Amino acid sequence: MSNVSETPATGVLEDLGLYTGIYRQMLLIRGFEDLVQSLFLAGEVYGTTHLYSGQEAIATGVASLLEDRDRVAATYRGHGHALAVGVDPQALLDEMLGRGTGINGGRAGSMNVNSPRDRLIGSFGIVGGSIAAATGAALALRKTTGGVAVAYFGDGAMNQGYVFECLNFCQVLGLPLVLVCENNGYGEYTAFRSVTAGELTDRAKVMGVPTETIDGMSVWTVRDAARRAIDHARSGKGPAFLEALTYRFVGHSRSDPGAYRPDGELDSWRERDPITVLAAQLAAAGVDEARLEETRREVADELEHMRAQGLAAPWPTALAAHEFKD
Amino acid sequence: MARELTMPKLSDSMADAVITRWLKGPGEAFARGDALIEVETDKATVVYEAEWEGTLGAILVPEGGTAGVGEAIATVSNGDGEATPPRVVIPEAAPAVASDDGGGLPDRAPPGSRANASPVARRVAVELGVSLHGIAGTGPGGRVTVEDVRAAADSGAPALERQDAAGKGEVTARALTPTETTIARRMTESATTTPVLTAAADVDVSLIATLRRGAREAGEVTPSLNDFVVKAAALALREQPRLNSSYADGRIETYSRVNVGIAVATEDDTLLVPVVHDADRKTLAELAADTRRLANAARRRTLTPEQLHHATFTVSNLGMFGVRSFTAIVDPPQAAILAVGGVRREAFEDGPDRVGFRDVITMTLTCDHRVVYGAHAARFLSRLRELLERPLALTL
Amino acid sequence: MTTTFRTAIRDALDEALADDERVILFGEDVAVAGGVFATTTGLYDKYGPERVFDTPISELALTGAAFGSAVTGLRPVIEIMFGDFLTLAMDSLVNQSTKYWFLTQEEQSVPLTIRSVVGAGGRFGAIHSQMPVSWFMGVPGIKIVCPSTPADAKGLLKASIRDDNPVLFFEHKRLYTLEGDVNGATAELGKARVAREGGDVTIVTAMKGVHDSLEAADALERDGISAEVIDLRTLRPLDADTVVASVQKTNRIAVVEEGPQTGGWAGEVLATVTEQALGHLDDAWRIATPDTPIPYSPPLEDAFLPGPDRIATEIRQRLRRT
Repeated sequence: MSNVSETPATGVLEDLGLYTGIYRQMLLIRGFEDLVQSLFLAGEVYGTTHLYSGQEAIATGVASLLEDRDRVAATYRGHGHALAVGVDPQALLDEMLGRGTGINGGRAGSMNVNSPRDRLIGSFGIVGGSIAAATGAALALRKTTGGVAVAYFGDGAMNQGYVFECLNFCQVLGLPLVLVCENNGYGEYTAFRSVTAGELTDRAKVMGVPTETIDGMSVWTVRDAARRAIDHARSGKGPAFLEALTYRFVGHSRSDPGAYRPDGELDSWRERDPITVLAAQLAAAGVDEARLEETRREVADELEHMRAQGLAAPWPTALAAHEFKD
Repeated sequence: MARELTMPKLSDSMADAVITRWLKGPGEAFARGDALIEVETDKATVVYEAEWEGTLGAILVPEGGTAGVGEAIATVSNGDGEATPPRVVIPEAAPAVASDDGGGLPDRAPPGSRANASPVARRVAVELGVSLHGIAGTGPGGRVTVEDVRAAADSGAPALERQDAAGKGEVTARALTPTETTIARRMTESATTTPVLTAAADVDVSLIATLRRGAREAGEVTPSLNDFVVKAAALALREQPRLNSSYADGRIETYSRVNVGIAVATEDDTLLVPVVHDADRKTLAELAADTRRLANAARRRTLTPEQLHHATFTVSNLGMFGVRSFTAIVDPPQAAILAVGGVRREAFEDGPDRVGFRDVITMTLTCDHRVVYGAHAARFLSRLRELLERPLALTL
Repeated sequence: MTTTFRTAIRDALDEALADDERVILFGEDVAVAGGVFATTTGLYDKYGPERVFDTPISELALTGAAFGSAVTGLRPVIEIMFGDFLTLAMDSLVNQSTKYWFLTQEEQSVPLTIRSVVGAGGRFGAIHSQMPVSWFMGVPGIKIVCPSTPADAKGLLKASIRDDNPVLFFEHKRLYTLEGDVNGATAELGKARVAREGGDVTIVTAMKGVHDSLEAADALERDGISAEVIDLRTLRPLDADTVVASVQKTNRIAVVEEGPQTGGWAGEVLATVTEQALGHLDDAWRIATPDTPIPYSPPLEDAFLPGPDRIATEIRQRLRRT
C-alpha cells in the first residue's frame, strides 16, 4: 500500500511522557481485545464482537489531540475508540460481559457502547452511522463549545450514502467535522479494492475538503496529520478527511477466521504492528527497555484483575426501562 | 360471622335463575339438607337444599328475582344475628362461576351452537337475565347487539298485557316462564340448526300386552308399555352407539353411559324430561320403578337437577292420548328421539284365508343426520322391533 | 384569533425559536425560500442563518445532523419535505434517535422534532401522498403527533419541540388552508380530544379524518344516529383511556384511518380496545384505504380515500339503518 513506509516513521517524539502514555494505552487496547476474545471463546461475551487489534495507533493518536469540548462517534469496532477517549476499561469489559456494572448497564453490548461524559457520543452498528451522528454533533459544537466532532469509520462506509451526504453537508455549512477513515483493507469479508472505485480521498477532494492518506500504523504519523485536520475543522473552515491505512490482525468479527486473506499478508502487517513501531521509536528516543517491560507487565496485571472483577460482577436486575423521558 | 349464600349452579348450562320461592325466612335456622329455595332454572324448577347449616339473614334476591350463578342471594349468620343489608348485585362482567366458554361470558347454548351475539350483548344479557337465543339480532350478520338484548328484556316483562288485535278478538299475552323460554329456545335451535331424518316402523306389541295382562292379574307391579320401549331402546343403544352420540363442532362424541330421557307433561302444562340413568343396566322392574318416581316428581316439579341431567336419548310417548304416530324434535345435543304412538288393534293375514288380530304401535325415530344416517336409523328401529316383539328377553 | 393551519405552524416555530436559544430549524428550502408549503416564512430573516438554514437535499445527512445535534445540546427541528422521504431518514431516526435514551441508561434523551407533510387528496400521486404513521408505530421511543386543527397544530408543535424525546410531527397537506381559533392553544402530547359527543357509535380518527368524520356525523345525525368523534391528536403514545371511555358509552367503534388497512394504526386502536373493553363491544371495524398505492387521477384518488360519504354509509350499514 502506498504511504506505508518500509521503515517506521521517525519523526521526533516531542513529548516522551505523552508517547509513553500512548504506548500504555495501545497495550491496554490490545490486551483488552485479547481478553474479550478469550472471554468470547469461554462463552462469557455474547453475540458478536469486532476487535480493534492492529488499529490502535489511530484511535490513540487522534484522541491524544482532543479537548474536553470535542466529541467522538465510533463504529461497532469501537472498543479502541472508547478506551482512547477515557472510558473506564472495567466498565467497558463489564458491558461486554452483560453485567449490571457495564458502562451502559448491560443494555448496549459490544456494538452500541456510548459514554457522553467521556465525549463518546456512541458506537454505531450501521456502517456509516457514526458520520451522521458526528455531523450533527459538529453542528451543535460550532454553536456551543467551539469543539470539533470526530467520526471514525471504515473503508466499507465509503460506499454508503452517509459519506457523500455528510461531507457535502458539512462542507457547505462549514461544520467542524474530522472524518477518520480507518482503511483496514476489508469491508467485512470482502477486499476493499474489489468493491471500491477510485481513491477514497478523491471523494472528499472533489468537494474541496482537505485530505491526507497516512500510515495508520504509526501513532506519530497519525498525530501529525490529525493535528492539521483538527486545526482546520476548529478554525471554522469546515471538515477535513483522513484516510489512515491500517490492518486488523483478526477477522471481521468473532465468527470470522479471516481465511479470505492472502498468505503472508497478515505477517507482513504484523511486522508493522503499531505497538512494535512505537516501542522502537521510544527505544530510539532513549526510553529504557526495562521501563517499557514494566509497563507491559502492569497492563497485563491490570487486565488480569479486570477479568476476575468482571466475571464476579453482578448481572443486571429486571429491565426497568421507560420508553420516554418525562 | 355473616357469610353469603350464593346462587348455586343447578344445571350444566345455567348462567342464572329465578328464585320462585324462599322456603326459609329471615332469622330461620336451617340444617344441611334442608330445602332453602325453589329455583326455576333454564331446565326446570328445582329445590335447592342447604349444603351447610346456619341461620338465614337478609334475603338479597326476593322471590321472582333473578341471580347469576355465584351471586349472593342472601346473607347467612351463624347465630350472632348480624347480617349485611340487602343490596342489588349486578356482576361487573361475568359471574364468578361461568360456563366454560373461554371468555367467562355467558353462553347458554350447547356446544356447537354458540349464539351470535356481541361481547357487550352477552354481558348485559347476564345482567338482565335474558337468554340470547331467540333474539333476532340486528347487528352485522344478524349479531345480537346490546340494544336487542335491552329490547328483549323490556318486551319480556312478566306482567300480563292485553291488547286488541283486530279480527282475532281480545288477545291475552304473557311472558314465557324460564322453562318455556328454554323449551322455545332449544326447539328453535334444534329446528333451525339440526338437519333431521325421520324413519317410522310398526311394531307388534301383542306379546307385551299379554305379558302385562298376566302380571296385572297376578297383582304384580306392572311395567308400562313405555317401560318396555325404554328398556328396548336402551339395549339397542348399547349395541348401536352411533345413536348414543352427539354432533359437536365437527366431532361425533359417543357416550359410554346410556341415559334415556322420558318426556313428561307436567300438571302446569309444561314439559319436563327426567332421565333414567344407565337404563341399559337396569332390570325392567327397576326401570319401571324409576320412571314412576320420576314422572311423579316431574308432575309435581320437584325433580332434582341430577334427575334432569345427562340424557343421551329421549323417548316421547303420546299413546295415552290416542295419537297414532307423530314426529318429535331432537333435543340437542342428543342425536335422536323416539316418538311412540298409541296401541291399535290391527287385522292381518294370519295364514291362508285367515284373518288375525294383533296390537300394533308406530314408532317414529327422528335423528340428527350429522350423526345418524338412514341405515343407522333403520337398523336401530329393526333391532327395537325385534326386542319388542320377543319381549321375554327384556324382562330378564 | 382566527388563523390558518399553515400560519399556526409558522407561529409555533416562531415562538419556539424565540423561547429557547437551543432551538434550530433546518431542512430543504426552509430558510430563504420560507418552505415549500410556506410554513417557515420570515423565520430566516428573523433568526438568521445560524438558527434557520437551508440544507442540501440529503435526508440522511439532515436527519443524522438532527440526531447528532440533539445529543450535543441543541433542540433541532427539521423538515422532511414530504413524509414519503422519511424512508431515507429511517436509519438516524430508528437506529440512532429512538435507541439513544435507552442505550445511555436514560441519561441522555434526544430532543428532536421532525416535521413532515403527509396525506393524500392533493393529486400528488403514489410517492408524495403517503401517510407514514404506521411505518413508525412499532418503533418504541418515538412520539407521533397528528394535529387536525390550527389550534392543535400550534399547541402540539410547541409541545413537540419542548418534548425531550424524538417526535414526528405530521402536517396533512389538505389542512394547511383550514382556519380556526388558536387562542390559548395549549396542548399536551398523548391526549385525545372528543371532537363531538354522541351515543351510538365512536369514530376514532386523526388529522383530515377528523373533519371527514365530523361531516359524516352531521349526516348520520339526520338519520337519527348519534356519532361521537374522537380526534386522537397523538398516535403514539395512544390515548387509550379516552377511546375506551367512549366505547363504554357507545359500544361501537369505527376507526377511520387514512392509510392502508393492513398493518395500520387503526388495527392497533382496535386491538387496544379489544384488550381493555371487550365486554363493551357490539361492533368494531376499520375504515381505511385499500392496500394499493395511491392513485393520481382525481376520481380515482377521491374514491380511494375514506371520505364523509363512505364513513356515513358504512356506519349506517353496520347499524342496520340504511
